[in-house]
Amino acid sequence: MTIEAVSEVEVQLTINGRNHRHRVPSRLLLSDYIRDTVGLTGTHLGCEHGYCGACTVIVDGDAVRSCLMLAVQADGAEVRTVEDLAPTGPDSLSPMQQAFHDNHALQCGFCTAGFLMTLESVDPDRWREPERMRELLSGNLCRCTGYQNIVAAVSEAWSEYDGNGGSNDG
Amino acid sequence: MSLDIDSHIRHSSRHIGRSVPRREDRGPLTGKGRYVADIRLPGMLEVVFVRSVEAHARIVSIDTAEAEALDGVVAVYTGADLAEVETFPDYIPYIGPVTQRPLAEGRVRYVGAAYAAVVAVDRYIAEDAATLIAAGTVYEPLPTVADLDQALAPDAPKLFDDWDSNCSFDVAPHKPEVDEAFEHADHTFTETYVSQRQTGLPMETRGVVAEVAADGTLTVWSSTQSPHMVRTTVALMLGMPEPQVRVIHPTVGGGFGTKTHTYPEDIVVPWIARRLGTPARWIEDRMENLVASVHAREQRHTVEVAYDDDGTVRGVRCASTLDMGSGEIFMPGTAPVFVTNACITGGYDFPNMEARTTGVVTNKTPAGAYRGFGIPEGALVMERIIDRVARLTGTDRVALRRRMLLRPEQMPYVMHGGGRLDSGSHAESFERALELTAPALQRARSRYADDPDVRVGVGYCNYVEPTSPSYHLTTGHWGGGDAATVRVDPDGSVRVAAGVSELGQGNVTAAAQLAADMLGVSPDDVTVVLGDTERAPYGLGSWGSRGAMMLTGSVLLATERLVDKARKIAAHMLEAAEADVVLTDGAFHVAGSSQPSVGWAEVGTAAWVRTVDLPEGMEAGLETSGFYHPDNLEHQLDDTGKINAAASWSNGTHIGVVSVRVSTGELRIEDYIIVHDCGTVINPALVEGQVHGGVAQGIAGAMYEHFQYDPDTANPRFASFMDYLVPTCAEVPHMEVDHFESPAPEQPLGVKGCGEGGTVGPPAVVAGAVSDALSEWDVDLTECPVTPVAVRAAIRAAAGSGAGAGS
Amino acid sequence: MKPAPFDYCRPSTVAQALEALGSSESSRVLAGGQSLIPAMNFRLTDVSVLVDINRVEGLDTVACDPGGVTVGAAATQTRVLDDDDTASVVGGLRVALRHVGHLQIRNRGTVCGSLAHADPAAELPALAVAAGAMIDVSGPAGERQVAAGDFFLGPFWTALDDGELITRVRFPAPPAGSVTIVDEVSRRAGDFAVAGLVAIVEADGGAVRSARLVGFGLGGAPTRLRTAEAAISGWAADHPSDGLTEAVMADTADAFDDIHATAWYRREAVAALTVRAARRASATRKAA
Repeated sequence: MTIEAVSEVEVQLTINGRNHRHRVPSRLLLSDYIRDTVGLTGTHLGCEHGYCGACTVIVDGDAVRSCLMLAVQADGAEVRTVEDLAPTGPDSLSPMQQAFHDNHALQCGFCTAGFLMTLESVDPDRWREPERMRELLSGNLCRCTGYQNIVAAVSEAWSEYDGNGGSNDG
Repeated sequence: MSLDIDSHIRHSSRHIGRSVPRREDRGPLTGKGRYVADIRLPGMLEVVFVRSVEAHARIVSIDTAEAEALDGVVAVYTGADLAEVETFPDYIPYIGPVTQRPLAEGRVRYVGAAYAAVVAVDRYIAEDAATLIAAGTVYEPLPTVADLDQALAPDAPKLFDDWDSNCSFDVAPHKPEVDEAFEHADHTFTETYVSQRQTGLPMETRGVVAEVAADGTLTVWSSTQSPHMVRTTVALMLGMPEPQVRVIHPTVGGGFGTKTHTYPEDIVVPWIARRLGTPARWIEDRMENLVASVHAREQRHTVEVAYDDDGTVRGVRCASTLDMGSGEIFMPGTAPVFVTNACITGGYDFPNMEARTTGVVTNKTPAGAYRGFGIPEGALVMERIIDRVARLTGTDRVALRRRMLLRPEQMPYVMHGGGRLDSGSHAESFERALELTAPALQRARSRYADDPDVRVGVGYCNYVEPTSPSYHLTTGHWGGGDAATVRVDPDGSVRVAAGVSELGQGNVTAAAQLAADMLGVSPDDVTVVLGDTERAPYGLGSWGSRGAMMLTGSVLLATERLVDKARKIAAHMLEAAEADVVLTDGAFHVAGSSQPSVGWAEVGTAAWVRTVDLPEGMEAGLETSGFYHPDNLEHQLDDTGKINAAASWSNGTHIGVVSVRVSTGELRIEDYIIVHDCGTVINPALVEGQVHGGVAQGIAGAMYEHFQYDPDTANPRFASFMDYLVPTCAEVPHMEVDHFESPAPEQPLGVKGCGEGGTVGPPAVVAGAVSDALSEWDVDLTECPVTPVAVRAAIRAAAGSGAGAGS
Repeated sequence: MKPAPFDYCRPSTVAQALEALGSSESSRVLAGGQSLIPAMNFRLTDVSVLVDINRVEGLDTVACDPGGVTVGAAATQTRVLDDDDTASVVGGLRVALRHVGHLQIRNRGTVCGSLAHADPAAELPALAVAAGAMIDVSGPAGERQVAAGDFFLGPFWTALDDGELITRVRFPAPPAGSVTIVDEVSRRAGDFAVAGLVAIVEADGGAVRSARLVGFGLGGAPTRLRTAEAAISGWAADHPSDGLTEAVMADTADAFDDIHATAWYRREAVAALTVRAARRASATRKAA
């Protein structure tokens, strides 16, 4: 059976638990689909060549650069963005968001969503050890904080995650 | 202005000095920040700029027909279409004149110069059109100059035909006392130090959205550090009355100096919105950002040093030359090299400095502002000189610095260029940093004790940071003060609006803390408005480590005026003498008894609503303004060529412990120690955050980031983050930060600025530490960045094999 | 930075994929896309038909047996990195993948895609050459197998012909008792190497018996360091390193300059990594 290559495609996926279905150009990047087609602008574009990590979202459980995926590649996928992190409620934040706030782990905030989505996607036990944590965080650029308070925030959030902060199976 | 803080604090649990959590956080944390790229307006069109791929060329023709015929393309404009738009102002008389049109016309002088604009329904189609226009552009290439030597060669091709050479300015003071120092010195040496081309690189690129209302008023959302300055320039260039132009900076994703300039896109996008009567936007992509936002730091310093056998540095002559790129930027990027020379002596008592300042144009991206603004370049020179003299004379590097450092009893101290250090902890900071370094050095030495391939070294930097500088020398137009307006509404809520802007520093939170303490309320009761020319008074924005000082000065002025009036109202309501009425924790009462009292809501209601309750003859309303200009901030050179161009001077010490792997040249900062003094601290967490971020950018410059150009074509050899190496979390070390607080005696509440100091130390520290680590080869690094290749080249050179011999 | 227009298809069989690839001269295979999509965003690569092989049946497998590991063309780097069975059979894969990009890149990027991309500074092609991997290729003329040593022809240049795609690669298990070392100098975490080495070393009684040495980041294809392989045998931890350094220099004469490093630096660094690997391998056996 032959298949045809096309310039427009039908895309159906869920973002933050809600169904979306659009006909889009084949070349539309997932990042632009999320921001422009769906209108969730919490995902930021910092480089559009897959280095800075600002556009990181979770696709089927994995953190990915949304600027390095076509929207059509996410057809059928479950996508999560930063807008999905805080529990519902006027002032509520997730533990990691709260730790970022408490530790002054963001300044301009442009990179923050990418860090949060990377962190949301991983098993803390695999990345808890200091060098491993820095390795994990090296997939997201931040220009304001020198990373120090981000490391502090993650350490704090993850120490509360297991209640003792001591385990290291990474 | 008064240093007596307590007389201004009217809240018993004072907020100034506490790490009040930031109110700026919630938007970005939850994805609800509103950056310029997040703005959606009905019918908004997308603008893409077509940029020169030639470093120096005449544009013979631009064929736009194919692009205009594309589905979804609305319009294409070239320079000729913008004939009605004024040329960028050229306010500085002593530099070479540059005629900068909003779109380049006829000639381009760097890769990245915008010469056409496409308007389309989306960015994808606009880029399709831009690709076609680029292919349809015929250039006549001109010879290029890619660096200072090429630009200054006697027969160099000129960027500007009406200039005598590529030299934009050359200021060469002569100091007889320096001649005398050289005559009496035991020895001299000469050396050349080099800092490389870098940029601030905010994670958010630039962006402009413009919309014209039915009444003709123009609203511009710009990711700028200085909305009022953009307003003034947009109005001027588009020929509009300033009140009809509103510039808003929404949430801004960092600036670091790059967004202090008013760029062509700030003019062209509003022009397009007016021309088409449709909202238009342009969001810079990263490929553009690397060539179209200003670069910085590319300086060369040729020094002659006179010194004695005992290590005394008697005098230095320094010729500092700035590579300005094409110079086609508003404001011009000329000022940093003057700051380099003004600050070059750092925290040291060193008057015998003669500094020549030169600016040269080349076929590269225009140079401009970057956090640090010339200071790191000078610190590298001074610290390398001290280490060299120590080595040549067998003097201990630490002891020599101790001998040279400024002591408290020398304050106020006038530096060689006129900078007046009002206060500081120069010697104490160094001592404290040394204490913190000892265990770090021990740790590093024991870590590598068993690895014969690794050497460990220490590098030092003692710097001063001019804060709240004059903008007159930089722009040739604006001054250096800033305004705030404070209002208490009928319900007692407070609103503060100020000309300082917020790009991540936490100025909204800081403004709330200041107003809260001065009015005796909680920060939660204070609404803060920054970054909107319609809602905030005229101000120059945030740059030059000025936010904290300008907010403090202007909010203090405005609140004192407001409290004076409110006290009169309260006294009237309390039926007490005004002189007896005090304000504590949001309520006016007679001194000595907390009851009866009148709160802000009652005063506010009387002022705006129940005006019948006002004292007879009092004008209604409760809104006051203050325009703060530091008394001692100078904007003009004096007869001797000196100037104190900063309102105050912070200081600090950086010390780094660095390990070097000899076989591969790999280096690692093991520990980085900062002792920092920015006077009275409003919010310690925010100050610490500024230090961390500044140091990380300093490390970026010391070891990683470098815009390289092809020497033959002046074409960029970078296009992405794979070429321009922004450090990640794995490269930036843990930093240990300690503080002194030496209040600025002449500034409100003693506050100094803190935004830039972090960037200053790392180049000097890393070059010093690596040279120290490799002292067995007599390595003496003179350039940044210090890379593995540079390290190996230095070892090879010392070993006599000659770098490059194997290639 | 948006891609130029192209036509897209998502075949479910290799046959469909080959047919789509053959439909245009500038067709390209989309696997992980972590190198291709940036190139398209920069408009550096001309693509008329994009053939997304991520949902082709049978290409997302990772299969282990005592003799080696077979990785399908759609299997991500994370999948291979996290697979404990793979690590126990071909330990070099985990060691190499730790150097590759960042988590987010590895979550999409594929092992086979890295081979097809043939970045001269990438770790996986060097590992494939050192390990003697075999690459399965399908094309209009049918299937063929190419040894990794014959696959990499130059920077971003492989033995793949027009219309062909990699379907899987098999990494044979290294010799029993050998140690696989992947070491590199890179400017930042996750960056491509400025200079790198894959060494599969067999040592015996504190001396190196034999080794497969492949340098990368040198400019062209992964470089088999044959002179060094000869020089290294018999090498012991306390051996002087001069001869080995000279051998690496002889093997790396074609190294290149770019903005990150000079040719002489790359050669010196690969030599230093080789000496380091030899020391480590001989020390490992001593301790054992």
